[in-house]
Amino acid sequence: MKKNPLNMTIGALLIVIFGLVMFLFQVRVSEVAVVTTFGRPTRPITEPGLYFKWPVQRVHKIDNRIHNFESKFEEIFTPDGFNLLVMVYAGWQVSDPAIFFPRFGGGSINDAEKALESLIRSAKNEVMGKHPFSDFISTDATKLKFTVAEQEILTKVQEQLAANKYGIEVKFVGIKRLGLPESVTQRVFERMESERQVLVSRIEAEGSSLAERIRADANREAAKLISDAEAQAIRIRGEGEADAAKSFSVLNQDPALAMFLQRLTGLEMFLRERTTLILDQNTGPLELLSRPAGAATSGRTSGAATQ
Amino acid sequence: MSNHDHHQHGTESHAERHAGVPEAKPVPLMSDDAGSRALSDALQSSFFIVKILMVLLVIGFFLSGMFSVGPQERAVILRFGQPLGTGEAALLGPGFHWAFPAPIDEKVIIPFSQVQVASSTIGWYATTPEQEAARTEPPPRPTLNPAVDRYVLTADANILHVRATVRYRITEPLQYIFGFTNTAAIVTNALNNAVLFAAAQFSVDDALTRNVTGFNERIAGRLSQLAEQQKLGIAVEQVTLASVIPPRQLSERFRAVLDASVRSGNVLNAARSYANEAVSRAQGEAATLVAVAQSDRTRLVEAVQSEAERFKKVLPEYKRNPELFMSLRQGEAVQRVLTNAQERMFLPTRADGKTRSLRLDLGREPAKPRTPPASQQPPKEDQH
Repeated sequence: MKKNPLNMTIGALLIVIFGLVMFLFQVRVSEVAVVTTFGRPTRPITEPGLYFKWPVQRVHKIDNRIHNFESKFEEIFTPDGFNLLVMVYAGWQVSDPAIFFPRFGGGSINDAEKALESLIRSAKNEVMGKHPFSDFISTDATKLKFTVAEQEILTKVQEQLAANKYGIEVKFVGIKRLGLPESVTQRVFERMESERQVLVSRIEAEGSSLAERIRADANREAAKLISDAEAQAIRIRGEGEADAAKSFSVLNQDPALAMFLQRLTGLEMFLRERTTLILDQNTGPLELLSRPAGAATSGRTSGAATQ
Repeated sequence: MSNHDHHQHGTESHAERHAGVPEAKPVPLMSDDAGSRALSDALQSSFFIVKILMVLLVIGFFLSGMFSVGPQERAVILRFGQPLGTGEAALLGPGFHWAFPAPIDEKVIIPFSQVQVASSTIGWYATTPEQEAARTEPPPRPTLNPAVDRYVLTADANILHVRATVRYRITEPLQYIFGFTNTAAIVTNALNNAVLFAAAQFSVDDALTRNVTGFNERIAGRLSQLAEQQKLGIAVEQVTLASVIPPRQLSERFRAVLDASVRSGNVLNAARSYANEAVSRAQGEAATLVAVAQSDRTRLVEAVQSEAERFKKVLPEYKRNPELFMSLRQGEAVQRVLTNAQERMFLPTRADGKTRSLRLDLGREPAKPRTPPASQQPPKEDQH
């Protein structure tokens, strides 16, 4: 009987696959693993890939990604006598499976988080207990110790982890929530309420005082404009009089004539319009009415009324 | 199988040979032969089907490695748990791809260019999803219970409710998928931290009204910084403050402040318009004053000048005979005046030479066009 090569191939393949399953295992990119021999951890694996093991060995895989841990919302006491409720969150990951696996009952993430919780709590209480409340809220960026406190908690937790050999690494810690005890919120509301009232009266007072100032400024400016203009007007008139004075020198040649002309002009200007003249016989040319020519000298208007 | 065939054939021909000579027991032998042939046929065809099935299985096994990646997705192939390639090179774009079937390869599909959304979870008072959907809310209680009500503390130790949303893109899918057990939760917490951090630096009025943009930017800046520090593999596109409100217990008080601002603004506006009006009125008056002065000046100068001109013109004539000149001029002037006068009356001297007294009734009626002269208001004459 001839041997069938296909059968042979299939058989060989099955044996190979069986062997692979017995002797090889994969570690995924998001995992680390620890190989135990008769229950004793013998080999940690931190890089992903294909690995060999003996059939008697067992492989325990542990999620190596960064876990999101959140603490409870617990009260802490600041040195300046405030009760603050604080919740922090942290990103942690398994750094050393060889330590982690035996320490936390076969690599239990839950057990690890419990241990982490007490670590973080004590670090949080210690750090926050050193900082007054004003370190966590301030408009002044240099006085705000928000990130400083976060960093201090992180450092403290990392120190503890290193000292106690947990096989855990904490990557970051951040404050997630800050709050006040329920009874305190009532007092805060009362304070806020009075702050609002102060603000209302301040806004109104500021508004009206500013308005007053605007009005006063405007009045002052207006008065200044007018007085400046008056001064300017006086100056202009003065200049005019100075200019006119130059022409007066001409008149000095014969003041009698100048005054006569002035009187004539004055007379004509005065009696220019809507005039009622009441004349007696001594006036101007009317003397001719009663006297022979040449008898009278210069006459005068005895009365004039202008309507 | 072919050797089996051959064997069978051999037996068959042997039987035929025997069948021709002894006719003793042909039928049972014949029937035995046919049975085995049928069996062999059946076996032959079933083996053939098995063969086909195996080939199909192998083909199917390899075809099962085909997969498609959508336009908004990327894929990573893990060979024995390890990504093929690093960084960007590990990402397979949209289209059809092939990977070895499990357990050799593992394909991981990652949402990529889709914008992800996370909302803050620490700033709002207690509501239920049903209330959210119906846009109603529970009536405010006098206090805030830390177990259910959330809020942030502002720099001036006030309480503020904030709802922030971040839209972000996954820029490093490998980190986003393999770096964290729950990246979305970490992003949410980073946003919470950023909201808290920003609120801690802003006074309640700045965050609410005066500098909302700055508040928003501070949140976005802090979030981007955290995303980078913590290597979340995301890019913050936009932080939106869905709502920032004072505690509902105090909304009346906060509204009163707004009202006061509005009132104060009105008062200021009134003052400003008064100021504008007063100043422009003064400007007008000032301009008038100056203009009047200017025209006075011009008039004065011109009058004096023209007088001087006239003086210069008549001076030679006057010099020749002052008496005559003055008399002539006076006469001319009186004549002109008398001609122009509206009403003229002649009052002769009394015969006894005493002065007469004359009563005038001066009418105050407005000027009228020249209507019949002299008859309207005749002066009364009286003698005393």
